[in-house]
Amino acid sequence: MLRLIGRRLLLMVPTLILASILIFLLAEVLPGNVGRSILGQYATPEDVAALNRELGADRPLVVRYVAWAGNFVTGDWGESPVQKVPVRPYVMAALWNSLILAGFALILIVPTSIVLGVFSGLRRDSALDRVITVSTLSMTVIPEFVSGVVLLYVFAVWLKWLPVTALAPEGAPFYERLYYLILPAIPLMFLELGYIARMARVGTVQVLSMPYIRTAVLKGVPRSRVVFGHVLRNAMVPTVTVIGSQVGWLIGGLVVVETLFSYPGIGKVMVESALNHDVPVLEASVLMVAVVYMFANLVADIVVALLNPRIRKGG
Amino acid sequence: MPDDRPTPFGPDPDLREESMQLGADPEMIELRADAASEGRDLELPGGDHKSKALEADAAATAEQKRQRRYLVKALLRSPTFMVGLIIVLFWVFMALFSAFITQSPTLTDPNISLAAPSASHWFGTDDLGRDVFARTMAGARTVLIIAPLATLLALLWGGIIGLIAGFWRGITDEIIMRLIDVLLALPIIITSILILSLLGKGTAIIIVAIGALFTPVVSRTVRAAVIGEREREYVMAARLRGERSAFVMVREILPNITQPIIVEGTIRLGYAVFTAATLSFLGFGLAPPSPDWGLTISVERVFLQIAPWTVLFPAAALASLVVAVNLITDGLGRTFSK
Repeated sequence: MLRLIGRRLLLMVPTLILASILIFLLAEVLPGNVGRSILGQYATPEDVAALNRELGADRPLVVRYVAWAGNFVTGDWGESPVQKVPVRPYVMAALWNSLILAGFALILIVPTSIVLGVFSGLRRDSALDRVITVSTLSMTVIPEFVSGVVLLYVFAVWLKWLPVTALAPEGAPFYERLYYLILPAIPLMFLELGYIARMARVGTVQVLSMPYIRTAVLKGVPRSRVVFGHVLRNAMVPTVTVIGSQVGWLIGGLVVVETLFSYPGIGKVMVESALNHDVPVLEASVLMVAVVYMFANLVADIVVALLNPRIRKGG
Repeated sequence: MPDDRPTPFGPDPDLREESMQLGADPEMIELRADAASEGRDLELPGGDHKSKALEADAAATAEQKRQRRYLVKALLRSPTFMVGLIIVLFWVFMALFSAFITQSPTLTDPNISLAAPSASHWFGTDDLGRDVFARTMAGARTVLIIAPLATLLALLWGGIIGLIAGFWRGITDEIIMRLIDVLLALPIIITSILILSLLGKGTAIIIVAIGALFTPVVSRTVRAAVIGEREREYVMAARLRGERSAFVMVREILPNITQPIIVEGTIRLGYAVFTAATLSFLGFGLAPPSPDWGLTISVERVFLQIAPWTVLFPAAALASLVVAVNLITDGLGRTFSK
């Protein structure tokens, strides 16, 4: 098991280096003249050249990449020319906000999708099964800003149950911050719900067809014990497995939901820095997302390995 | 992989491990090796019975036609497919002809700004006094241009790459698959933001960006389908005849993997609508006064509290299109898997 984790960690290094080169090339080379893209088209050529020298943009590409990557690893992420703030605390604060929102959404996703999936699996091919399947899948395929805007209207504007903003006032206790995050977390939950609930449903249907379930029922074990003791436990495995593979969707969802709710997370920072050509912030935030994304995939693989003895022993 | 999930609707995913190992017929491999070493076309036993071959050909063609008719009939009977098709056709009709039916989607009138739905303006008016009904109907146009073209691009590029990787295998395949892994190392929405922030806005750029970003997933699907076919007898026969690789790929294998490609295409179409709408919502798509749904929701959402109709109607329209495309995918997937 430790060897499996170690090997995966080692494999992450080349992937991260390749991803960082990709980000670096996209952010620094494609726009051509860095100084020009920051100062705009009305700046004098002398000003542009001076800024390029100051930023080190007149050096060869390889030198610039090595300097950039080295500074990134040692924690010197530079200063944002647009926001006029140091990049690292700015990006890390946003990342932390996003992790709170994503974690909250995940906590909502797991029980909801398992309950819905097991329910429709137990009543397979009934009207309830059809309703649950079609409605959860529709929620999944509808873009999160569409469901977000509808939820905002219904729960914040019309019923006034929840706040319109996503950010609690300064100094509010943690539970109040979560209260403000309910509305943004629901579209994120929708994004995953259909797929994960379907896995729970398939898991349930397959477990129900196993001989040991028939034995349990014939032995006279009460239905509730069959469901909670056997079905639920075995339906969990495929469900937990797919949650890990959906981290990419969650990140994409964060970008949209944070923009919609004006929540200062990493997704909003990425969109704004891309729109404002804030290159240092864009690079740092995308690279941090790549790091988090790879770690999340690693954690997901470890959880799968822990659940599946065949992989655990083979690794 | 994040963007690798199978059709959201569609047949249930199979949790059992399926290993479809198609063993090559040892006798055929020997024949092929002989033919290759002698450097001439191999004559198959009984290969000169031309009339028989023609008869078999005709029978095979008739069988194919019969199957196609059966598939179309099954699709027409599938309620999910038909509902999806009707909704999509409605939006295609509106994208083409809404200019002749509705009021102008860009005509402003400050006197009736943010008016509630009424007989003269069914869906109300927005902040500039534009008719929301006209804008909602015309909003179908941009998304129905971008999404299908991006999907076709992805199918074309992914088809070529998948055919090459699956047919030649070996080192070519290895390199292509590793490159695809790196491309998928970042979530698609983030790569597209990076690309669009650098290349600028515009319909053509969005189409190319979405097409390029969907290519890796399509090529994986095509590659898997090609690997399933390449050891079949008809491929062997074509190679034994000495056909060029390109001919075998395009004229022999491609017609036999159209079903998975069609299903993959409709899945990608759903995601392309999703991605195009999301990008224009985030501000990387089109510029006002385009009536595009994503853009309209993004611009008008500040009026959600006082004039919800400006936002909710485009939102409902976008939701209906996305769900309809997925219903078509579902119908196709179910019919093909029967």
